[in-house]
Amino acid sequence: MTRLSTSIADLVRTPLVVALSLILALLLLGELLSPGFASSSQIMRLLIVASILGVVAAGQNLVILGGREGIDLSVGGVVSLSAVIAGNMMQGSDAGIIPAILACLATGAFFGLLNGLGVTLLRIPPLIMTLGMLGVLQGLLVVVRSGIPSGLAAPGLARFVTQPFLFGVPGMIWLWGAIGVLMALLLRRTLFGYRVYAIGSNENAARMAGVPADLIRISLFVLSGMFAAVAGFCIIGYAGSSFSNVGAQYMLPSIIAVVLGGTPLSGGKGGYTGTMAGAVLLIVLQSILTTLNIEEAGRQFAFGATLLVLMLFYGRGKALRG
Amino acid sequence: MPRLRLKGVSKRYGATIALGRGDLTLMSGEVHVLMGSNGSGKSTLSKIIAGSVRPDDGVIECDGSVVTIPSPRAARDLGIAVFYQELSLASHRSVVENICLPRLSGTGGLFRNRAGMAAAAAPFIAPFESVLGDGFGLDVPVGRLRADQRQLVEIMKTLAAEPDIFIFDEPTSALDRAQVDCFMTVLRKLKAEGKSIIFISHRMDEIFEIGDRVTIIRDGETVSTSALADTSMDEILRTMTGEEAPGPAVPAVAAAPHVARQPSIKLKVSNLVAPGVNSVSFELAAGEILGFGGLHGQGQSAVLRALFGTAPTRSGDIEVGATRLKGNSPRASIREGLAYVSGDRARDGVIDGRSILENTVPIYALKNHLITASPRSLGTRAADALEQLQTKYQSLFHPISSLSGGNQQKVIVSRWLMAPPQVMLLDDPTKGIDIASKTELFRVLRDLAADGMAILLYSSEDAELLENSDRVLVFNNGRTVRELRGDERTRYHLYHAAYEAA
Repeated sequence: MTRLSTSIADLVRTPLVVALSLILALLLLGELLSPGFASSSQIMRLLIVASILGVVAAGQNLVILGGREGIDLSVGGVVSLSAVIAGNMMQGSDAGIIPAILACLATGAFFGLLNGLGVTLLRIPPLIMTLGMLGVLQGLLVVVRSGIPSGLAAPGLARFVTQPFLFGVPGMIWLWGAIGVLMALLLRRTLFGYRVYAIGSNENAARMAGVPADLIRISLFVLSGMFAAVAGFCIIGYAGSSFSNVGAQYMLPSIIAVVLGGTPLSGGKGGYTGTMAGAVLLIVLQSILTTLNIEEAGRQFAFGATLLVLMLFYGRGKALRG
Repeated sequence: MPRLRLKGVSKRYGATIALGRGDLTLMSGEVHVLMGSNGSGKSTLSKIIAGSVRPDDGVIECDGSVVTIPSPRAARDLGIAVFYQELSLASHRSVVENICLPRLSGTGGLFRNRAGMAAAAAPFIAPFESVLGDGFGLDVPVGRLRADQRQLVEIMKTLAAEPDIFIFDEPTSALDRAQVDCFMTVLRKLKAEGKSIIFISHRMDEIFEIGDRVTIIRDGETVSTSALADTSMDEILRTMTGEEAPGPAVPAVAAAPHVARQPSIKLKVSNLVAPGVNSVSFELAAGEILGFGGLHGQGQSAVLRALFGTAPTRSGDIEVGATRLKGNSPRASIREGLAYVSGDRARDGVIDGRSILENTVPIYALKNHLITASPRSLGTRAADALEQLQTKYQSLFHPISSLSGGNQQKVIVSRWLMAPPQVMLLDDPTKGIDIASKTELFRVLRDLAADGMAILLYSSEDAELLENSDRVLVFNNGRTVRELRGDERTRYHLYHAAYEAA
């Protein structure tokens, strides 16, 4: 009996369960404040927004899991740049979809590779390296955007992201679900996953057990760049056209989603399932604050304060410390 | 009246008695040598005087009055200064700042002027003026100095504290002959001034050159104090080890050397040089357990770590089986068939917070180029390896931190047994684990050797080393000084070799 109650208490305290309960509570609260908030179409809309954030957070999650203060602040820049590249390559035509996605992936991989090389070979702390890279990307964005007209999403992409695709659920959400399954498989059923956790927990011991720590870390940054690029590509489908610095709003939320999902910033434990819940939680929270019709300053204040309270709550569950 | 007197001082850690009955009488104007085998309690005794370990029992008298030394600060207030083997210098600060550090932390103003500091440091640098070597300077950060220069700075720092009682723990290990001579001159001067010096060294020639009296500790108890002029190296070693010179053969439980008549060489090391290793060469045959012995920290660990590719630099020739080891990384060493088990599990072995399964499979997965990880099939293999060592665990999916130290170490050893190596490097593998696990571990190692694996063993416990090794190489200051075979594998011979002049 005690054993059962302990395990229930443990379960209740896992970040995933906490996040899911909070999502439900917030949806109920939203429905009370403004009827229709939790309608299925509204939830679908929330999920689409969350899925874009979730894709960015997938890469962020990998980099953070790898430890040694792993963090990728350049994701916002990669999202913005790929959105511009995608819009300009598609120019409203479905024929441009494939070249556009390939170009985006290559761009993301390239900048991720630079981050990874800087962090491993030059031993620049990830915070500094990726912040610097963010600056480079933003500068690049200004140059690129001043030379070309803003691009347009292919109709096929816009349909995929926003319209029901299968069982009434938009393709974007299916894509996110697929990424969720692939991430779980990658982390739990491949040696790569074992090694990511190993270098995140004890890099020295991992090296002594033959783990190529630098190679793994570089791949994590490459993957992070590629996930951010996919998100940038999808944003075009959601927004219709590329607009200025669309990625900026993803940098911090992608990190918060990871932490809310139970992956500590010190790395080595946690996983993507929690991060997905964390991303939804963040979006629902933002949405409620918008519904409440508070002005921007108040909204930001409430958002920040809520996050701090949440972190306190999580901290008690010892999920994030150590 | 003695300057310092310790009577019946003891210290235990749980069930382990680090020091049972430590007695020491230190007079003014003497160099008092402290000797004892590994783990005898010699360093516990000096730590008690230094105030970094609090004794459980016993009396300490300073100038005839009973004192307690609860902290290093209290030791300093009593006029005691310690030179530590592990260098205690701030590597980013200059030579002058390091030398003046003991004074800076005293009372006084917040601000110091550079000229004043240089002047304060000068008298302590002066005696070594002629042997400082290239690259030494008052403003040079200590981290950029050579090892011998750093050790000189450490000596100067100890001198600059201007204590009445010095404890020098292996102060000359990195120094050359000329530098040692300067240091000896300084010691003689201190002695003439009536200072008291406790001296710990592994160089027998230095001990006889500078020492007045020697106190010998064996198995945690002070067994004798005598004037060095009235004793001999042989007598000291006999007292230290409790063994007669010829020495009885190691008990029958020790392995008969099961080296085949035409041994196939599994590991050949020529002129290995690495940090802490000065040109070491040896051969290791299949089925052989070669022990690395001597006083602690003489390069035994450093050789093993260098072989495994964790030293920043390495030169010399290493052949594993018939192939020459090229890359200097654990991965390269693993590929050629080396395995390494560290006594420092937390740092080098355990992937903390991950499951027992994930901690057991990495080497197997690496050698078999696995891409996907199926917990079921990996689990079966891992369970087999863990079973060999009779590892106790509830589930492969529990975190490794849920196990006792002994069982954690068994997991690390099992990691290697899943894909057996040609040569196993054991770096004090039983440190901090229970007796039952130790016994189990050595039973398995013996079986592995019988099946043809070659094993290099370093153990900080002399008995464990002598009992389990077919041959023992004795280390002194990064070199091998002697090889003990057959009947020579006794504590007496071990320490005779360990104290031989390098």
